[in-house]
Amino acid sequence: MRAIGRLLPLWMASALLPVGLLAQAKMVDTTPGAGAIAITGGKLLTITHGVIENGVLVLQGGKIVAVGTAGAVKVPKGATVVDAKGMTVYPGLIDSETNLGLVEVESDKVNSDLVETSEEIFPQMHVYDAFHAETERIPIDRFNGVTNAVVAPASEDTMPGQDILIQLAGRDRDTMLMTRDVALAMNFGQGQKRGGRGEGAGGPGAKYPATRMGEITQLRQALVDAQEYMQHKADAGKKPGEMKTKFDLRNEALLPYLKGEKPVVLGVYEGYEVEVALALAQEFHLKVVLNHVTHAQDVLDKIASYKVPVIVGPIYDFPAANERYDAVFSLPAELQKRGVKIAFASYGVEFNRNLPYAAGYAVAYGLPYDEAMKAITLNPAEIWGVADKLGSLDVGKTANVVIANGDPLDVRTSVKQVYIDGVAIPMETRQTRLRDEYMPKK
Amino acid sequence: MGKRMAGVARGCGVVIVSVAAGVGAAQQVPDLVIRNATVMTVTHGTIEHGSVWVHNGKIAGVGTTVNAPTGAVVVDGTGKYVTPGIVDPHSHSALGNDVNEATSPVTPSMMMIDAFDNSDKALYQALAGGVTTELLLHGSANMIGGQAVVIKNKFGLSRDGMLFPNAPRSIKFASGENPKRVYGGRNQLPSTRMGNFEVMRQAFEDAKVYRKEWDSYDAKVAQGAKDVTMPHRDLKLEALADVLRGKLLVQIHCYRADEFLTEEAIAQEYGYKIRAFHHALEMYKVGDKIAQDDTGIATFADWWGFKDEAWDAIPWNAVMSMREGVRVALKSDSNDSVRRLNQEAGKMVHYGGATEEEALRMVTLNPAWIIGVDDRIGSIDTGKDGDLVVWNMDPLSTYARAEKVYIDGDLFFDSSLKGFGTTHFDGVMHSSGFGGSDDEEGGN
Repeated sequence: MRAIGRLLPLWMASALLPVGLLAQAKMVDTTPGAGAIAITGGKLLTITHGVIENGVLVLQGGKIVAVGTAGAVKVPKGATVVDAKGMTVYPGLIDSETNLGLVEVESDKVNSDLVETSEEIFPQMHVYDAFHAETERIPIDRFNGVTNAVVAPASEDTMPGQDILIQLAGRDRDTMLMTRDVALAMNFGQGQKRGGRGEGAGGPGAKYPATRMGEITQLRQALVDAQEYMQHKADAGKKPGEMKTKFDLRNEALLPYLKGEKPVVLGVYEGYEVEVALALAQEFHLKVVLNHVTHAQDVLDKIASYKVPVIVGPIYDFPAANERYDAVFSLPAELQKRGVKIAFASYGVEFNRNLPYAAGYAVAYGLPYDEAMKAITLNPAEIWGVADKLGSLDVGKTANVVIANGDPLDVRTSVKQVYIDGVAIPMETRQTRLRDEYMPKK
Repeated sequence: MGKRMAGVARGCGVVIVSVAAGVGAAQQVPDLVIRNATVMTVTHGTIEHGSVWVHNGKIAGVGTTVNAPTGAVVVDGTGKYVTPGIVDPHSHSALGNDVNEATSPVTPSMMMIDAFDNSDKALYQALAGGVTTELLLHGSANMIGGQAVVIKNKFGLSRDGMLFPNAPRSIKFASGENPKRVYGGRNQLPSTRMGNFEVMRQAFEDAKVYRKEWDSYDAKVAQGAKDVTMPHRDLKLEALADVLRGKLLVQIHCYRADEFLTEEAIAQEYGYKIRAFHHALEMYKVGDKIAQDDTGIATFADWWGFKDEAWDAIPWNAVMSMREGVRVALKSDSNDSVRRLNQEAGKMVHYGGATEEEALRMVTLNPAWIIGVDDRIGSIDTGKDGDLVVWNMDPLSTYARAEKVYIDGDLFFDSSLKGFGTTHFDGVMHSSGFGGSDDEEGGN
């Protein structure tokens, strides 16, 4: 998020804007109906087994139940047939980092739940406790074919909390939560310093940590504490005289990560930051997903050697002073070429609907098209542990499917229909309602 | 000092400098011919297997064939697309941290040229995205901000060499949340929209008096009067008087439908014209009315919801407003999206079904009109400046890359070159401290 902060306006906190905008998007019940839906005649981008021209895709009971060519797949009797001739059909897109539902309008601080900044070590903060499922931004996001997203806290802390993975439709918050605590957010670099106002590490109002040393030490202490807690817990009752450990929310929250059961998402930008942060992660045997790395061109081979997936971007981050204009645009291609599993993210809340364009931009600068599609479908499904449910047009997977009038990655393409859990989502947003209300009368 | 001298000094300084700079540069360039490309002219359709000929920096021919002389630089455009240079009508690039003189809500005598840093890397990045002309504006902290500078993106040339020769003068006005926030936050006037417009009306009332004083003085001098005292010269009021005289193109940062109407009413009351509303995210609500005033808009393609007054933004705004007869341009307002304004145009095919030519016009000819230079740039027509971009494919696609960028017939960027891909640059680039939206109060 630091880079986005640099690219976009940094909203001045303002006492003048206490207004809470009424953000109450219509919820969509995604309980699947009994009948089948057959999408016929379209070009199917399956992701796992190539492109099927004139394909048939059958959805039933919230799942994909058949996929193949028109000759090979029979349309079930009584199925609702959707003619997708001339259309492109693909799995719903997955956004690997957003702040959806944590804030509606960033200048409206009263309703912002982006991040708890009173301290930095907050693994016990759960995004699901703040996630506002009725945000108007979700219908607008899925309007362009995004059906799933990770919601992370903003990145001002070195350890701001745990992410969620959501479906972008459902009758209420719980229905939309696919995985609670899907990952732990960790950040390292300039943006997490508590150096106070002004330049450098020690302006007025400076708090710890004011340097990168402070940040790493703070993280290491938190992880050491949690390790000790884990050991105490294991020992309790085994050794005579060992006291039962007092339950501690913070240490408890770190246990699945220390055990390597879930990934930490490590947000870093510069090459040396990657190396420092990875060394810390290795010290505690953390399962890592790297995030950003937009100025780490000097350590690409090293990144590849870690064998960890990378959420790369924002692809629109600016090149460093000595770099060519396309140094960041070509980064996804450079990582993929080295065998790194990559995913894309839109970050923040203002550009989520443009996720496919980020993938397309990477194609313009060398990323193979199929890899770009994978980076917003199957790769994130694997990274977030839901590849059995999402990320491709395969039998048995959740029926999150998009029909568009062209190439999903092209800015000129319009999505015509989105299915989530096999339910046709009304292609209606706050913005389409305004559009229709003011559409010039012919 | 006589009347004539005073008249010249009043408001013409920028232009004089740029005349001298522009002419010399263009004459050295050899003829250029781009052959066998898909030429998107913007004004007269798309020519398959077309050619463009540039002579002395000006477009000398465009069509399926051109009469180029031997010795011209010939570029094979097979499989490529050629468009006019992209024009950004709203930028704060290359102004460092000096975008807003946010110490008074009325600062019309601020000259953005005084902050222009020609070595700002943002200009290079924009050039690599096919951007050849930019309007560099004051920010939106003030109801009446400063006067813009128009540049040609000849990255690597001197400051003077990058000025757009004889470009009309533009001035930046603002309204809405930003002046409220900046001054209200200090418990100063204005802190409300009432305050915003009161400040503006008072400024024009003062300017009316000032203008009358000077007009009366000028008239007396013209009649040969000897014993008249020259009135005090006030740079601020002089600039405002020039607005009243119609000598400045008025560019207004404005989001809400009600504020477009208020701004138009005030303009009518004081007798000036509004060239364009910038941002203008609610224009789709009142486009039919604004179209009658021949006021254009420079809007975002799809950015929305970044503050209250952007809450009703819809991505169909540009095309709906266009259908109502408003002249619509897309703009960056950012060092980021300026690098892909072609894609922002492409989105208009998605949001509202613009034709490719209509979409391309929003980042070429229409922004050129907003800047007041549409007779010289913005389309591929004989007699216009040789500002051309060669793209690897249809520029409205996500996959399009600018391969070669020509300004006044001279190559300034070539992506096939090693290093930066620049042809005239041989120095140190400055990384800008700002260059973000003018919705930001100051530098970061």
